[in-house]
Amino acid sequence: MRKYEVSDSQLISLYKNGNEDAFAELVSRHKNKIFTTIFMIVKDHDLAQDLLQETYVKVVNTVKSGRYNEEGKFLPWVSRIAHNLAIDHFRKAKRYPTIVMEDGSNVFNSLEFSEESIEDRQIKEDTHALLRELIKELPDSQREVLMMRHYMQMSFQEIAEVTDVSINTALGRMRYALINLRKKMDKMNVAYDKNIYPE
Amino acid sequence: MIRTSTQNDLIRYIYQETDTEENIEIQTAAILNGALAHELHELEQTVSSITAAERVPSESIIDKILSYSKSYDLHSLK
Repeated sequence: MRKYEVSDSQLISLYKNGNEDAFAELVSRHKNKIFTTIFMIVKDHDLAQDLLQETYVKVVNTVKSGRYNEEGKFLPWVSRIAHNLAIDHFRKAKRYPTIVMEDGSNVFNSLEFSEESIEDRQIKEDTHALLRELIKELPDSQREVLMMRHYMQMSFQEIAEVTDVSINTALGRMRYALINLRKKMDKMNVAYDKNIYPE
Repeated sequence: MIRTSTQNDLIRYIYQETDTEENIEIQTAAILNGALAHELHELEQTVSSITAAERVPSESIIDKILSYSKSYDLHSLK
C-alpha cells in the first residue's frame, strides 16, 4: 500500500483552483483500482473503458461546478460513482452481462511487460484473471470488505460503520478474505506476484 | 497461538492504519514470533497479488478524460 506526499484532498483543492496537473495526478493515482472495480462487474474491457470515462466526466462536472463535498474521501466517492454506473448499465440494458473471455489486453498493457515473452505475459494475465475470479467466489461479507478496503480505500472504521458491524468484525472478515484467497490460490497453484516476491 | 487482536492488528498494519508506535510493536513481535512473522508474510503476499491483478485502462481513454477536463469551460458555456 502506498502513501502519497500530496493527499487526494490537497490535489482536489488544487484542481478546484484550475490546476489540471493535479487532476491528472488524481486520475493516474486511482485509474487501475477504479477500472478494475468496473471490470469486475461488467467483464468487458471496452465497456469498462467507456464507463471509466463516464465516471470521470461526472467527477469533472461535479468538482468544476463546485458541487464536490469536501467531507468525503475522493476514492470511495469515485468508486461509488463507477460502481453505480456499472450496475445502471445492466439495469438499462435489462439483461445480464454478456460473458466475455478475458483476452485482448491492449497495447499499453503489453508495453509494461515488454521484456517478458508472450508466453510469460499470457501466464501472468491468466493468473490475474483467475485471481479476480477467486475474489468473486468469496463469501459476500468477506468480498464486500475486501472491495471496500482494497479498491475503494475506505478505512476499516468507515467499513464498520457502513456495514453496521464492529471494527473487529470488519478486520476479521478482511483477514478471512485474505486467508481464503490464499487457500484458493494454493489449491489452484496460482503463482504469487514474482515481481514482489522473487523465488 | 496468536491472539485474535494481534491478528487483526496485522491487517491494520498491512493497510497502514497503525501508528508509529504500533508499527514498532508489530515489527518487534514478528521478529520474536515466527508464527506471527509467517502470517504477516503470507498476508502481505496475498495483498500484493491482489494489487498486481488490477487491470490497466488504455492511455487513450485517460487522454480523453484529461482533455474533457481541460475543455470543460468550453462545453459548459454552450
